[in-house]
Amino acid sequence: MRLGFCPGLPASEVVKALIPLTWEIVARGLGEIGRLLGIVAASVVVLEGLAYLILYRLLRYKYALPFMLLLPALVGVMALIIYPFGFNIYLAFSNMNMFRFKEFSVGLSHGITNLLDVFRLPVLQKVTFFQLLSRTVLWTVINVACHVLGGLGLAILLNRPMRGKGIYRTLLVVPWALPQVISALAWKGEFHYQYGFVNLMLERMGLHPVQWLTDPRWAFVAVVLVNVWLGIPFMMVVLLGGLQSISQDYYDAAQIDGASAWQQFRAVTMPLLKPVLTPAVILGVVWTFNNFNVIYLVTKGGPMEGTDLLVTSMYKAVFEFYRYGFGAAYALVIFVFLFIFSAVYLRLSGGFKGAWES
Amino acid sequence: MARVYLEQVTKKFGNVVAVNEATLEIADKEFLILVGPSGCGKSTTLRMVAGLEEITEGNIYIGDTVVNDIPPKDRDIAMVFQNYALYPHMDVYNNMAFGLKLRKFPRAEIDKRVKEAAGILGIENLLKRKPKELSGGQRQRVALGRAIVREPKVFLMDEPLSNLDAKLRVQMRAELAKLHNRLQTTIIYVTHDQTEAMTMGDRIVVMKDGFIQQVGAPMEIYDHPDNVFVAGFIGSPAMNFLDAAIVRENGDLWVDAKSFKVKLPPTRFETVGEYIDKEIIFGIRPEDIDDREFVPDATDDRVVMADIDVTEPMGSEVYLYATVGQHSFIARVDARTRARDGMSHQLVFNAGKAHLFDKDTRKAIR
Repeated sequence: MRLGFCPGLPASEVVKALIPLTWEIVARGLGEIGRLLGIVAASVVVLEGLAYLILYRLLRYKYALPFMLLLPALVGVMALIIYPFGFNIYLAFSNMNMFRFKEFSVGLSHGITNLLDVFRLPVLQKVTFFQLLSRTVLWTVINVACHVLGGLGLAILLNRPMRGKGIYRTLLVVPWALPQVISALAWKGEFHYQYGFVNLMLERMGLHPVQWLTDPRWAFVAVVLVNVWLGIPFMMVVLLGGLQSISQDYYDAAQIDGASAWQQFRAVTMPLLKPVLTPAVILGVVWTFNNFNVIYLVTKGGPMEGTDLLVTSMYKAVFEFYRYGFGAAYALVIFVFLFIFSAVYLRLSGGFKGAWES
Repeated sequence: MARVYLEQVTKKFGNVVAVNEATLEIADKEFLILVGPSGCGKSTTLRMVAGLEEITEGNIYIGDTVVNDIPPKDRDIAMVFQNYALYPHMDVYNNMAFGLKLRKFPRAEIDKRVKEAAGILGIENLLKRKPKELSGGQRQRVALGRAIVREPKVFLMDEPLSNLDAKLRVQMRAELAKLHNRLQTTIIYVTHDQTEAMTMGDRIVVMKDGFIQQVGAPMEIYDHPDNVFVAGFIGSPAMNFLDAAIVRENGDLWVDAKSFKVKLPPTRFETVGEYIDKEIIFGIRPEDIDDREFVPDATDDRVVMADIDVTEPMGSEVYLYATVGQHSFIARVDARTRARDGMSHQLVFNAGKAHLFDKDTRKAIR
């Protein structure tokens, strides 16, 4: 076999030239992994040893064993969630930015300024917080609606006796199983004006090609399409599981009671799917609202900030405009929005309770 | 209210024949029981009447209409399911009202019917509860109520009592029979429990492997089973079957089981004539074998000396697990019996109640 981009050489030679993978590199890689695992194991041993000495020997604490078993997870949660969260709050009350990176100061006045800036200044160059918020809400509503409807439709199609069910299910799960980075970059290629299959298809159908990545409106459509494609499989899998747990007896009973297919869907499927649907929608909303990968990889928020969402512009404000204090305050605001949404939605929908509870 | 008629009805699942050319007429207001072991096709038959399964061949009539292609909702039937299938998200009232709402009954009429049915079943105080908050017996009543409010032509019940505990089952058995008297509706009732079949129905249909074995009133089936299967299935403890032969001695006919012989009464001579000196299956119900002590007029030609392996006192009576030669059988004798484990004891066969079956066809010799 010969590769198109290097016709002079056999494929194996090309690969060898491109990836000079030698045993030394492999050994070094394995060594790195081993060292990392060693450090983790050693710190666990040290940590648990200390806990044992203090809790068992020194304090003779009644719940020493449960505490010791929880300790590694506690440390992980502290290091990865609680400490960063606290640090974010600290930063939100600072004036840290590109010019005051080392000699920043912390105080209530900085916090208030940051918070007001979030709402009164453009987040980057021109788009304001409220524009971003409405765009993000629109993005979330369209995406989650399409995920739920598409996922439910496919789940209902798959939840019937049919030939080759396993194959269809596997194929439909692929977008979800692929790393998001890969599929997002692949889609970026497909939206290329000249070579992407989307425009090629449009041309074949006699339509005009679309400026997918250079016209802000079409760019928004493009990222929505990509994210819908990415998100449907998760909903499908979750809802399929929910559908399969609904006993056929309810449908039999509903048929005898005189329900049409649509009435069976309304009276049996939807209410009995609710305990599965509610958490899935909450997760979907939070993930979509905070989606960074798709936007950043497909359009980078562009063109002209036209596809930026709250989180992508936050990322840019912090890591491209170096406005640390401002960015931290901004992150807190987003957090509060999502927190309120989740609490209200849980309350309104009866939350994680089963369908038979009220 | 209406008769139901099954005409040569067959159901196939792929290559498996679940119901084989069943022909059956169920009269208006009749309480008909379909009984048989699991996999005999009784539930499938019921579901075909309900419209939940398609009919492969044949016709089903409700009233005078062929209902083969009529969907369940238009068949004017109601069904009670084994696990009740109450909608978990609706309270009792709405579970019962659902079918009426879908049929666009006026609100007042729905309310009247639901309250009335709840009154009949004694569940008025549960109307606001969800199924989860009910006991098994209460759920059972709600499932019945859901069927009653519809006032259908035909009630279909698929093992409705099998999820209840033993005591409640006995109680509900009587209540269902009472309900039938009150509602005067055709009921088709599926069960695997021969006791339910015997006690509740006007007629019983015994099924096995997709074939109807026998149709008849409970006592008719009990006293005159058509074949070995029906004889063994109906009655508890089950009928004893012994391999034997008919022999003639001194002008009398005997059932010869090798290790013992029992003389047949002259009334049976006519029917067994062609089986003389041939192998047959000798069936006798446990209650037709008694302790010699309590049958003072027993003649020696039907008394057998048996080894008692185990005695099972049931309170009102005692089951004796007995052996004679190579034959083992169960006798149901008076509670005062002095038979004990390991003893030899004299038992009397009531030969007049013996059931004789052809060894090849396994059909009753009549």
